[in-house]
Order: sequence, then C-alpha cells, then structure tokens
Amino acid sequence: MALLETKSLSKSFGALAAVKDVTLEITEGSLHSIIGPNGAGKTTLFNLLTGAFPPTSGRIIFDGKDITGTPANRVAHLGLARSFQRTNVFPAFSLLDNVWVAAFATGRSWGGLLFKKSTNYPEATERARAALSDVGLLPKAHVAAREISHGEQRQLELAIALAAAPRVLLLDEPAAGLSPEETRNMVALVRKLKGRYTIVLIEHKIDIIMSVSDRISVMHFGSLIAEGPPQEIQRNPEVRRAYLGGIAA
Amino acid sequence: MRALVLILISICLLPFIVRPAIASEIWIFAIFGLGLNLLLGYTGLLSFGQSTFFGSAAYVAGWLLKNYGINVFFALGIGVGVGALSALLVGYLCVQRSGLYFIMLTFALNQLFYFIAYQWTTVTGGEDGMPGIPRPEFLGLNFKDPLVYYAFVSILFLLSLYLMRRIVESPLGKILQAIRENELRAEAVGYNVPRFKLLAFVIGGAFSGLAGVLYAMLFGIVPLEAISFVFSGNVVFATLIGGSGSLYGPIIGSFVFIWLSESMSVVWARWPLLLGVAFVIVVLFFRGGVVEVWNKVFAWRSSKQRA
Repeated sequence: MALLETKSLSKSFGALAAVKDVTLEITEGSLHSIIGPNGAGKTTLFNLLTGAFPPTSGRIIFDGKDITGTPANRVAHLGLARSFQRTNVFPAFSLLDNVWVAAFATGRSWGGLLFKKSTNYPEATERARAALSDVGLLPKAHVAAREISHGEQRQLELAIALAAAPRVLLLDEPAAGLSPEETRNMVALVRKLKGRYTIVLIEHKIDIIMSVSDRISVMHFGSLIAEGPPQEIQRNPEVRRAYLGGIAA
Repeated sequence: MRALVLILISICLLPFIVRPAIASEIWIFAIFGLGLNLLLGYTGLLSFGQSTFFGSAAYVAGWLLKNYGINVFFALGIGVGVGALSALLVGYLCVQRSGLYFIMLTFALNQLFYFIAYQWTTVTGGEDGMPGIPRPEFLGLNFKDPLVYYAFVSILFLLSLYLMRRIVESPLGKILQAIRENELRAEAVGYNVPRFKLLAFVIGGAFSGLAGVLYAMLFGIVPLEAISFVFSGNVVFATLIGGSGSLYGPIIGSFVFIWLSESMSVVWARWPLLLGVAFVIVVLFFRGGVVEVWNKVFAWRSSKQRA
C-alpha cells in the first residue's frame, strides 16, 4: 500500500518548471530512490513533500490524507522527517542537544515548556540517545556539532531526522562529499535503517542506488521518465541516454 | 552558585557604595536587560525597541497609581500585563520579517509609541514627563524609605533572575537557541519559528514592563526618554558590554552602565565618549563582553596554578 503519494505535482519558479507533473507512489516499508542529473528537480520535490514551499499544482497524499500546502513545521509532526543535502545542523549545540531538539518537537507532550528543566524529559532524551546510537555517534554525545568532521556531521544530519521517530524518512544525498570509506559506512547505515522506516533516497552515486533500492524513479528536467526495480532501470534505454550517458551504454 | 553568591554580596554592599536610588536603578535596569537578552542572546534577535514595553508599562501603571491610588502589587501586575501585551502587538508585526528589516521594524514601532507619548500631553505630560507618581505604603511597608524600596527591588530582581533561569533551562530556552543557531532546521524539525519568536517577545516584554513600573515608582516620574529609542539602545549597549552569551551578562552590563553614567556624568559631561570606547573594544576584541573576559582570566589563572 502506498504510504506517500503525489498526484500530478508541479512547481514553477517563474518561467522555470522545476517539477513537472510528477505522480509517484511510495510503498510502505520500501526504499524508494529518486535519481537524475543535477538540476533534475529532486531536491525541489523533497521541498514540496516536506512543505518548505507549496506546489503550483497537484496534490500530496500521506497515509490517505491530503497534506498539500501543509507548512514545514506541521509536516514534521505528521511523521515525515528529512535530512538535508547541505549539512544543516545546530553548530553550537552538543550532538545530544542537536537530536534532542528534534526528539522533543515530535514528543508526546510539551507540558512544562516554560519552566521544566529540559533534562527532565526522559522520553525525548531516550529517543535522542537512540538516534545518536543508531548512527554511531553516541560516544561523542557531548561534543559540539561544529567540532566534528564533515563525515560525522553527515551522520548527525541523519540522526536529527531519526530522532523525530518518523514514518517516512527523506534522505537528500546522505553521502554527499564523503570519502570512499565514509560512503561505505553511510551505505551500511542506510541498509540498517531499511525496513524500519519507509525511505525515500536521493543519491548521485549510482552503485549505491543499485545495491540498496527496492524501486527507482528517474527524473529528468523536472519530469519522471522511468520507474521500476533496479535491474529494469539499468536496462531502460531512455534512462541510459538521459542519465548514464553514452559511456555507460 | 558562585554567581549567585556574588550577586547576593553585591546586593548587600551596593547601598553603602552608591545612593540607594542608584543602587535600585542598577537592579531595575538588570531586569530590563534580562528581558532583552532572551531575545538578543538566546534567540538571536536584535530588538531596538525594548523601551516601547518599558515605557508603556510605566505610563499605564504610573497613571493608575497617580489617579486611582492602586496598590504596589497591582501596579506591578498591570505593568507586566501591559509590557507583555504591547510586546505581543509589536512582536506580531516584527517576527514576520528577519534580519535588518526586523531590526528596523522594532525601531520604527518604538518611534511610533514615542510620538504617541510625545503628543498625548494630557495623559503623559509630553516632554515634561508624567510626574507625581507615588510609592504607596503596603502592608505596613513604607516604600518611601529608599532602603525599603531598594530591598523590595532587590527581591523582585532575584525573583526575575530565578524565573529567567528556569525559562532558559526549559525546553523553550533550548528551542529559542535552536532558532538562533539554525532557523531553517528548527522549522524543519517541527517548530513554528515565528510563534516561538513571538513568545520570546512577550516574555521579554513582561520583564521590561516590570522594570518600567519599578523605574516609575523609583523616580516618581515617567520621563519621556523612558519610551525613547535612546533607552532601547542603552539596554542593548549594556547587555553587549556585559555579554549577551550568558544569563548574567545583562546584570554585569547594567552594573557597568548605570554606575559609569552616574559617577562619570558629574565629573565629566562628555563621559559617553568613554562608553563609546569601551563598546568598540568589546565589539572588536571581546564579543562575549565582560563575562568572556572574566572567564578568560579565570581559565588563565587556573592554568597557571596547574603549571
């Protein structure tokens, strides 16, 4: 069953149609990748799904409910969490605080918001520690985010999304700018999360995509040009032309 | 703990060093600074219009004290209410914008309130201010005695400090700092950023209102400057000198600012020049203000001891 759907979703910035008539179905529990050359509209699609801005036309349906036009801060509460392509953390905060803020946001209760000590929310703290532990950063829980390496910041980026206890995880190039070894760790991490969450993954590194995805959608100039399981996509001549280029063929 | 002990000692010693009125003014200004710093230091919002809330509260509570003889606690309650309400109004408009536009809006709305006070002479007294504000006796406490009033102000200051401490250590404090650190991400993880900024405004306004009423009762008058941009600038200035990164920064800033302005203004009429130099030094070399200098000296001393 589709947990997240888009119906003829479009977004234009002036004359530029960044996303054109995209109809997509993400099956619950699957890992669905979105690939395409730079500027194909993948990140714009994520921004639409998470409510960063409203679509020009079309609809977004999550768990059977129409959530089109819901602002970003509400979308997080519905159970969609994203990580960003460019590292987007709270630099002066410790790693634990970085994830705690996300865990608290979607926590069960905001009671005592103004006067209870923020260390007195065992549920949020527990969830925050679990998220750090998932990405392997728990030993550095009390280090400031600006003091860790780029690779670790990418892991933290993911941990912030996990801390919200989402149903759908939208990952925007989690391996961007990582060394080969860090990339291997990130792939292992994504593999570990697969099955626990419904994951939508944007990625450039084609070998990662082929090895982890259940389904792949290919975007080109804002439109979907193909969709299917990895083997099928690899054979699709149109995809080869648009994305893999002449060399791969 | 060390900070609290220092503050308690200062409260006890201060009336022996300066006139009780000046001593009271220091703690009142510190309450004002605590409110501003929730915006400036914790949320990262530079409000150049804090005197809007300070002045409005002073005028409304002053008017009621003068004409209806309300009691002191009622006056303080009114002040907190007016401060919070005016901050809700002003904040609602300001949080729609960010950066420079936000700062200009706080400033412009401050000017609007200033000119209302300036023109509405039948109530505010315009340029002459609103004189004749009493300090009525309450439960046998004679607030006309400067030392009794000083003790009263000190207790309210400690209460404000306690409250502000609870607020900055609460989830709200974390969320406001998260907004300061990265607004976009704070929104993405599920916080309605404008709503939280507005909440910070209202809390800051309530503190400003409390300070405004105490100020009006202290001097028996609400001068027109109490709602002017100069006053808004002073509290920003004092907070930056003290250190906006810390809960105690505005308190130290208030100390330095009020004390300097009182002691230097009789000696040298051009004393603000000194303040200007101090400000330049702080901005260039010690962005964390006096608190940062203090921490550095402390770290240096303990490293010496270890060596």
